[in-house]
Amino acid sequence: MNCLEFERILPEVLEGGHTTERQAHLNSCPACSTLLADLNDISVQAKTLADSAEPSPMLWNAIEAQLRSEGLIRRPTPPPAPWFRRWQTAWLVPVAAALAIMVGIKLYHPAGAGENEQPVRHIAVAPGETVRAVSSEDQQFLNTVATRRPARQAKYRADIDDANAFIHDAEQAVKSNPGDVYAQQMLINAYEQKQMLYDLAVDRSSLQ
Amino acid sequence: MIAVSWAPKAVTVLALTGLAFGAGEMRKELHFKVGKRPMVSINNPYGPVVVKAGVPHQVVVSAILHSDKVELDQSSSRNRVDVISHLLPGSDQTTGVVEYEVQVPPEADLTVHSENGPIHIEKLQGDIATEGSDSSIEVLDCANGHVHVKTLNGPVNLSNVRNGHIEIVSMGGDVLLSGVDGPLVSVNSNSGKIQYAGNFGDEGEYDFTSHTGDIEAVAPAYASIDVMARSNQGRVENDFSLEPKHTPFYVKGANAFAGTHNKAASSVKLFSFSGRIQLKKRQN
Repeated sequence: MNCLEFERILPEVLEGGHTTERQAHLNSCPACSTLLADLNDISVQAKTLADSAEPSPMLWNAIEAQLRSEGLIRRPTPPPAPWFRRWQTAWLVPVAAALAIMVGIKLYHPAGAGENEQPVRHIAVAPGETVRAVSSEDQQFLNTVATRRPARQAKYRADIDDANAFIHDAEQAVKSNPGDVYAQQMLINAYEQKQMLYDLAVDRSSLQ
Repeated sequence: MIAVSWAPKAVTVLALTGLAFGAGEMRKELHFKVGKRPMVSINNPYGPVVVKAGVPHQVVVSAILHSDKVELDQSSSRNRVDVISHLLPGSDQTTGVVEYEVQVPPEADLTVHSENGPIHIEKLQGDIATEGSDSSIEVLDCANGHVHVKTLNGPVNLSNVRNGHIEIVSMGGDVLLSGVDGPLVSVNSNSGKIQYAGNFGDEGEYDFTSHTGDIEAVAPAYASIDVMARSNQGRVENDFSLEPKHTPFYVKGANAFAGTHNKAASSVKLFSFSGRIQLKKRQN
């Protein structure tokens, strides 16, 4: 049995369907055994989440009011021009995906093959070079990359900085001109870039 | 006499072959029978992937594995073929390399992932999705399908891609589109340069945006376009005599132009924050 075959029967294994062949693969493959352990952990955590209370509707109303006051969302407006319709609804996809990826990164940290380098936790900074601040989610992402793909950490850091700079500029433009649909589209594009960055890093990590 | 003159060449060839395959390299060839419009996926962290149109109902995968630190995982059903280079513990960017040459039916839907090896795809009619980190990505002579490209810093080159639904997202990789048209041609770049050379055909929607990368579009005088272009901090240049139109995006301090040319069949939007935007008329 190889890893691909194991991944196919993973749902059965998660439900307790162990066989000698499956156990033999788990014993010989650290990646699959780590994956199974992580999924079991997530399954346990998910059960505890189900018991937690649903947030009050008042909380959602407060969030909505805050977003409106910051001009980030507005009351429904008449239908826009056809070319823009595709863009206007598309923003939900990258934002939702980005959130999902961030949660995924927090939950999923298996070790993998393909990396012989020692983990690098800190980024080397040249004298005089300024370090841009990153959010806690970005830092978590970079820590994951540092653990699993140390050789690429500096590149991912540079790409994160570029994506954040784009987001920052686009946000400023939207704040300056809230009715500018093109500035809004640039903001969507900036988030799409950041989503891609997370996607590619996580996809590759899970591949190895 | 002839035998003597060929002997050294034959020895050289054999020696080179020995060098190539003696140092832990292994060649594998996989054949799959498939139905109409199969889905083929190649996932190769390190090494080149070349995909070309072959014969109907058959997928042929030729792979050269550079060491025993990598193995091929394959799976297939009636109409799906997945091949993955599976890196084993201890592998790296050298020992994990696999070189692929793949032939698929022309109408196949294709997904290719490679981190740093070049990706080359040609003469397909199905949907193509490809992504890489530093991989150069080249799509040639394809038509009638979706082409989705994601890259961090690898260059992207699409040439003679017709009637496509094309979406490209790039961080730092330059994007070059030559002879590309279709209902949607969209490029979203951060610092990479976007270059388009074509006629903006198919009554399509051409959306090119960047953060700091320059945008250059070259079109013939007969191009039928409705253009909007704006760079918040960069320069804008336009060779076409555009009929003025109402623009909803006046922004103080930004550089912009807008208008229609000929019958304004296709929509062209060029937007950047600080990149230079040029719309040039093709000279010929």
